[in-house]
Amino acid sequence: MVAGSTLRIAWRNLWRNRRRTSLAVAAIGLSVALVLAYYSLLRAYADWVLATLTGPMLGHVQVHAPEWRKDRAMDRTIEDVASILDALRRDPEVASATVRVYAPALAALGEEGFAVIVMGVDWEAESRPGRLLAGAPTPRSRGRVLMGRALAEMMGVREGDEIALVGQGADGSLANDLVQVQGLIETPVDFVNRQGIVLEIGEAQTLFAMPDEAHEVVVHARDPDAVELLASKLAGLPNLAGTEVLDWQTLAPEMVSLIEIIEVAGVFALVLIFVAASAGVANTMLMATFERTHEFGMLLALGAAPGCIVRMILAESVALGLTGAALGGTLGLLFVAVTHETGLDFAALTGGGPTELSFAGLSWSMRFYPSLAAGDVGRTILAVLVTSLIASIWPAFRAARLEPARALRD
Amino acid sequence: MARARLLRAVALSASISLFSGTVESFQKPPDVEAILTHLDDLYRSKSSTSRMEIRVVSRRTTRTLRLKAWSRGEEEVLVVIEEPAREAGTATLRVGDNLWNYLPRIARTIRVPPAMMLGSWMGTDFTNDDLVKESSLHKDFVSRVERRSEDPKGWWLTLEVKPEVVGRWAKIEFLVSDDWLPIEERHFDRKGRLARTMRFDEVKTLGGRRLPARLVLTPTDAEGQSTELRYLEIDFDVPIADDTFSLSRLEQTR
Repeated sequence: MVAGSTLRIAWRNLWRNRRRTSLAVAAIGLSVALVLAYYSLLRAYADWVLATLTGPMLGHVQVHAPEWRKDRAMDRTIEDVASILDALRRDPEVASATVRVYAPALAALGEEGFAVIVMGVDWEAESRPGRLLAGAPTPRSRGRVLMGRALAEMMGVREGDEIALVGQGADGSLANDLVQVQGLIETPVDFVNRQGIVLEIGEAQTLFAMPDEAHEVVVHARDPDAVELLASKLAGLPNLAGTEVLDWQTLAPEMVSLIEIIEVAGVFALVLIFVAASAGVANTMLMATFERTHEFGMLLALGAAPGCIVRMILAESVALGLTGAALGGTLGLLFVAVTHETGLDFAALTGGGPTELSFAGLSWSMRFYPSLAAGDVGRTILAVLVTSLIASIWPAFRAARLEPARALRD
Repeated sequence: MARARLLRAVALSASISLFSGTVESFQKPPDVEAILTHLDDLYRSKSSTSRMEIRVVSRRTTRTLRLKAWSRGEEEVLVVIEEPAREAGTATLRVGDNLWNYLPRIARTIRVPPAMMLGSWMGTDFTNDDLVKESSLHKDFVSRVERRSEDPKGWWLTLEVKPEVVGRWAKIEFLVSDDWLPIEERHFDRKGRLARTMRFDEVKTLGGRRLPARLVLTPTDAEGQSTELRYLEIDFDVPIADDTFSLSRLEQTR
């Protein structure tokens, strides 16, 4: 137990050389601030990847009929979707659940047919922020559809045009109808823009002869970090018996590495902290103990126990580290506080590059929203604390082992 | 005594099989080109009208369509659905490499784009491509007689796609009976996998020709799925109005 007096003395000793201590505090503080800013960007990146990936299209958990993912056959449907949705929405860990229909079809404005995918969706669920149709106009009346902008350009379709849709019902029958294009959409999902015609789910179910059936259930979890658990729990629901319930990691395994890379980067940051803090602390404490050899000799001669000297130096070192960490923590949190709401625009930061980039069939906005978890700050401070202790062990024991007589002579 | 009879019987049967073996080895392989030309013409002739029934068996349901078809030469085909009532009047017109569908419910004619040629035709296991590519067997493929088939008796022909042809099938194996009727056709995709099998049976006389009235198409990778086509009547070399194969006529098919 370090007595209060030891801390007081350590604190006072620390500031005997103001300039040296200030420099050390500044060095530690700066590296802590940088590491925290770095952590917050890593988090921004992870959130960005996850939100872009799971928000509009994938969701956190998806349900399909077995084999549907292999051939996307019209007749591989999930039945009784209304009761499935009820069951899913009752689960407190489910933030939202919605169903979709995917039907390959032929669309034509005039005589020329084009291959399209007709998607039946729940307007309301898909227009929430971050979802597929966020910001799109949602049709209110029957027979109205939204069309991917790139597809519309290829087909020469303009808003308000009437187009023919021809496909095949889930029972193999011929499905055809005329619909009016209410709006052209630019979603974050490439294939929807290039091939998609979006129809209200109920109308799609009627058109394709699949009442109360769908091809896909998309679930968003309240806690995106506990998706695996949620998926295995949902798989146990009696309503979902005989279906395939998968988390997004299984659905898009190639994307998991995009997020896993963050853990490696996080370890890097911790190493950085160790190097910066240990250099600052070790140097300061070595200087401080060398120049006070005479003083330590005096204390030992007066009967101070070596352990007391060790404690004092360790306390000094910890005080130095924590002061730096406090300064850095404040700066780091300040950075996050300033950037969290509005986000960082990477396009502007890199000198007016593209505001969006296209990858893996998705468009990725170049805006990041830094954030920090308490664990990030705690881990960083702990790292500084441990480093400070380790870096001062040698100076402390060197001081404690001094022979009072010789030390006094120096 | 009994022993001698048995020996004679064995000797006789041995000589019969030896004899039939000799006959086989002397049987001259047929002229492949002639067979293919014959097969191409079998259901078509210069012109034809026909009624047929298509039964589509899928995982979910079995659907039956009744169709009426007109053809002239190799390039012109018109198929109109007569039943079920819900789809009656729906028609497909082929002229050359172009394919149009007419949909009476929405009164629209739509040309099938090249990208959809491998899509299902009217919900069957036939593709749109099957309606267009039917005639190009001896144009696109190099054919040879592969081997003799004993049961059923006939010849296996192998058709390999010409290197410059971009198509769906890399190889077709064709079993043709000794009287030049198709028995079985196996289609292999570009990766050399068996993609589907067509079997022809119920040989009878239709329109004055002996031909298999039934064709069953079974895709390899879709379990429990098949399409069965049965000719109910065919008339060959009948006069067909010139405007039959036109878009304006297509829209009056009902």
